Amino acid sequence: MAAAEPPLKRSRRETRNDGGSALSTYGLLAPTLLVLAAFFLLPLYYIFMFSVALRRFSPTEALASLNGELSGFTGELWSKLLGVGVTVKVPGLDVDVPLLLVAIVFVVLLVLAVTGSKLKDYGSWVVGVAFALLLVPFLTFPAGNNLVRVMELTSDGQYVRLFFKSVTMAMTSSVAAVLIAIPVAYFLAFCVERSKYTWLLIVIAPFLTSYLLRVFAWKVILGDQGLINSGLMAIGLVDQENPLTFLIYSQFTVIVVLTYAWVPFICLPIFLSFQTIDRRLLEAAMDLGATRMQAFRKISLPIIAPGIVAAFLFVFIPSIGEYITPTLVGGVNGTMYGQSLATQFVGGAFNWQFGSVMALFLLGVVLLLTFATSRFLRAGGGGI
Amino acid sequence: MNPYFDRKGFLALTGATSLAAFLAACGGSSSTEAQSAAGSTGASGSKPAAPSFDPASEPDGTIDVFTWAGYDDSPVPDGAPWMWSQYQQGSYGSKSPLKFTFLDDDTTALSKVASGYSPDIIHPCGGYIRKWQEAGLIQALDTTLLPDWAGIPESLKEPGLIDGLYYHLPFDVGFTALTYDADAVDFSAVGGEETWKILLDDRYRGKMSIFRGPDEVIEIAHLANETSDPINLTIEQIAAAKATALKIKDNLRNYWSSQTDTVNDFINGNLLVTATWPDGYWKIKNHPKMKGRNIKYMQPVEGRLAWVCGMVLSAATERPGRSLLAMASTNTPQAGADLTDNFQYASAQKEGVSALIKDKSLIEAFGLNDPKLWEPPMAWSQSQVTPYKEYIAAGSEVIDA
Repeated sequence: MAAAEPPLKRSRRETRNDGGSALSTYGLLAPTLLVLAAFFLLPLYYIFMFSVALRRFSPTEALASLNGELSGFTGELWSKLLGVGVTVKVPGLDVDVPLLLVAIVFVVLLVLAVTGSKLKDYGSWVVGVAFALLLVPFLTFPAGNNLVRVMELTSDGQYVRLFFKSVTMAMTSSVAAVLIAIPVAYFLAFCVERSKYTWLLIVIAPFLTSYLLRVFAWKVILGDQGLINSGLMAIGLVDQENPLTFLIYSQFTVIVVLTYAWVPFICLPIFLSFQTIDRRLLEAAMDLGATRMQAFRKISLPIIAPGIVAAFLFVFIPSIGEYITPTLVGGVNGTMYGQSLATQFVGGAFNWQFGSVMALFLLGVVLLLTFATSRFLRAGGGGI
Repeated sequence: MNPYFDRKGFLALTGATSLAAFLAACGGSSSTEAQSAAGSTGASGSKPAAPSFDPASEPDGTIDVFTWAGYDDSPVPDGAPWMWSQYQQGSYGSKSPLKFTFLDDDTTALSKVASGYSPDIIHPCGGYIRKWQEAGLIQALDTTLLPDWAGIPESLKEPGLIDGLYYHLPFDVGFTALTYDADAVDFSAVGGEETWKILLDDRYRGKMSIFRGPDEVIEIAHLANETSDPINLTIEQIAAAKATALKIKDNLRNYWSSQTDTVNDFINGNLLVTATWPDGYWKIKNHPKMKGRNIKYMQPVEGRLAWVCGMVLSAATERPGRSLLAMASTNTPQAGADLTDNFQYASAQKEGVSALIKDKSLIEAFGLNDPKLWEPPMAWSQSQVTPYKEYIAAGSEVIDA
């Protein structure tokens, strides 16, 4: 028994164990670092080198020849991407501002949203307003045959305009996916007991089929003579000659399909967050007279907040660079940044250098967002 | 023994796998260098002589064919083996096994091969052959190994004729034109005749579609502006075409990336007008859901767009002669007739093909025996657009707008 051993012996063993465990920690980290190096850092290095010196780093002469004589760092490409003006549109008012100012405002809002809760007074208000200001310019709601906005950011630059549009579509689908996933995860965590994992399997069942197949299924559902239109026609709500055309080949379709695609995926982290809640806290709240809604708002929500932020990022980060969904169901106005990026590499522009600059810009935005919200993602940390 | 890897075993396994991956990567990069070297030889400035290949002295091995879906050696819809069968039966005195990989579109295929993928035979279209050649990815053909070469008209060989050498064996020829429902679409607002201007008629807003190609978006808009060659435009003409393309965009439902998609959209009532190739039109017209509808393939007053695709020989192939013999089997009259019967395209091979076509109605429907239909001003051949960068920039801006 440890308690009976002489103190010296124990201390020597501890020292030896400490050294061994540090080594084994690094040893066990090695595969992760290797994967990170092979699948993230190395491609990133090449993207960066393409963006500054294409010819020297082209894998083949043929590629260098297709791309033309571009070499060395050139600010031109960055100014082609970012040297543009931005128009902030709110109902009845258009304001022109430089892109840099927009970027600064967003970084400040992001910092306030993340750190505001530490303020003594009005902390939760600051966080709430900052989050709202971050979300509002990029949320869009379907109304009739159109999408309506409270506020809109657009640009005279082709790529920044497309970037804002992509952020809008990704943001709207991420928020929608989170809002749908929360009740589903709550149901799984609290409302079913014995059959919990059967329900979980049902929720993630869409993953059993190919993503492409599911997108094509949406085309059948949303088409002019699809399930929804013909159903509405059958009950007389929609005229045979004028089907709801916004359902397919629009920004709306991309948002619907992205939301649908990610909901099952993000149910899992939110479900796990709900699982970590100590039920005695909820019971105590009820004993002290809280309603179920109050208990949810005051206890469950702060505990699951990291899960919600993680879920939001899980949807937002891949969606913002989406390529295949807007290509299949996007229509003329549902084009996204990822498609334009692909045009630089494989779509006929043969401009890997500019494509790499576009990719680095996207990466920068995503990294900024991830670092800013990393406080929420730490195990057990954060909370609102 | 533990049922799982302990720490030591796990690290050993990871180390071994990494080493293997590293060695494989080194092997891969050396083959890339070989390919680059071949590429730069092809791109060199001096005018090379017509090549001469000796298939008999070439090494055995599989011939890798990078082609469009449907152009492999699986039987055509009527059950017969087709374009590659002569070669596979050994009719040309050589019989290497063929392997097929499918390409999505011209530009993606070009990027893929330029990045290091090296098939033996590739199947690009006329608009990009110069790019393939300039990048040093393809080599000139030894046409003495092509028994049916003389049956292809010079006008179709022209996109592949660079510095006096032929780089392209034309195979399939077709139009890009608007398929439309003549019961629902009328041209009274745009002059009464069939015209590309119908894309500007906002009565059909949200019911029209064209291909998602930056160059083709500009070509079509130019034809809506004026009747002249849409392949060689001035900067001013490109600017005018871009302005028109933006107006057209307002009326479009989508830009299609896969013809099957747009055919399905038409059949399912999402579209009334869409740009298709001949097979797309034929599929729509003959679909059971379109029974009783007057589906037409437009011959606009400004002219259709026409394309010619065919086989090129990779600069990196170790078997140029054998690959060329495999290509020869696609150039026979029978392969041409099968192409028309099963895909409704015209064959680049003209000698004796009409007699072999089973469905004679296709000859009439697509003007296969009427050369005038394939020449300006009835059709404009989509060879490489000039100035290329300006076309792509303008078209991309329209698509991204």
